[in-house]
Amino acid sequence: MNEERDDKLTSAAAQLAAEIEPRRDLWPDIELAISETAPRRSRWTPMFAQAAAIVLLVGASSGLTYLAVKDDRPVVMPQPAPEYAFERAAFGSSYTLGSDYRDTRADVLARFEKEAGRLSPEERQDVEQSLEVIRSAINEINAALQQDPDNTLLQELLMKTYHEELNVMRKVGGVTQSVMSRRDI
Amino acid sequence: MAAVLSVETGDNMRSMVSRTATAMPEEAALIARARGGDTRAFEALYRTHVDRVYGLCLRMTGNVSEAEDCAQEAFIQAWNKLAKFRGDSAFGTWMHRIAVNAVLGRIRKSKREQDRIRVVAETASSPVSSGDHGELRDLSEAIDRLPEGARHVFVLNAVYGYSHEESSNMLGIAVGTSKAQLHRARRLLAQQLQEQGFEA
Repeated sequence: MNEERDDKLTSAAAQLAAEIEPRRDLWPDIELAISETAPRRSRWTPMFAQAAAIVLLVGASSGLTYLAVKDDRPVVMPQPAPEYAFERAAFGSSYTLGSDYRDTRADVLARFEKEAGRLSPEERQDVEQSLEVIRSAINEINAALQQDPDNTLLQELLMKTYHEELNVMRKVGGVTQSVMSRRDI
Repeated sequence: MAAVLSVETGDNMRSMVSRTATAMPEEAALIARARGGDTRAFEALYRTHVDRVYGLCLRMTGNVSEAEDCAQEAFIQAWNKLAKFRGDSAFGTWMHRIAVNAVLGRIRKSKREQDRIRVVAETASSPVSSGDHGELRDLSEAIDRLPEGARHVFVLNAVYGYSHEESSNMLGIAVGTSKAQLHRARRLLAQQLQEQGFEA
């Protein structure tokens, strides 16, 4: 009798929902906590370090590209990008930035601009400086890619730099979704 | 209750095994990326497993807020311990182990069990959000009313399909204790359901 009862209870228990959706998204708090488990440093210092590394890489890549093409191609000086034109920022005639990326960036940018107002003046200045450096780097890489469209190092660098810009804005804007893949450009 | 009780056993475990098998290669890649510090990859792991981890926490604590805290803590601990995950068990099982530890740790931290019970009584509405309906909901509520030790063993063993060896290992108790608690849980559940007029 007890065995039968136990079997019935066990059977019924196995029908209970094992997966239950939390009433709220727990990820933002988790993300915040795991970002705080990194060694405690100034929040914006890593961004400066990343930006500096990008500038160094861009400089080195541009130098190499210049040396590679100077004998048979005219050197084109980087031109200031009109309004940071992503549509123009393509490497090679067969590549363009994906619409998904552009949409996502527009979303991230909107959130960033909304949240940036809450930063202290010093933090805001730090962020803007980081973004300025990164955006200059993007323009330089694009200029270098106009000279050498098939340079995979520059292509990868461009990808990483675009990603860096999104990361900086995302950290300020609190956006959590993954935003870009290699297929987006 | 009788209608519900005639269904086959082990559905939850079978569903987990099947899903684990199909998700393995992609999951392994996500784990590798997360180990390298990629929070986006870890977020993808979170999205895959959160419902199951939260479900376990909710069943074990019987309280929505505590379950949220425990699930959150479990994922934070998982991030910190990711380098130690060797793939001996499925990632979902590993997460469950961490979640059980989070629940137990939280209980240990509470100053008095009475306080917890009071908080539960004030805020408990967990079965509403558990997705159970009808007679299963009655069973779910009966489980919530079980004493802690019996509830933990019953949830791991009967709801999530873990063996006595596995559940006793997760809970840090002897296999014999696990068996005794399960027996107690079944007896108390049958008693509760009978009092409510269900044929168990």
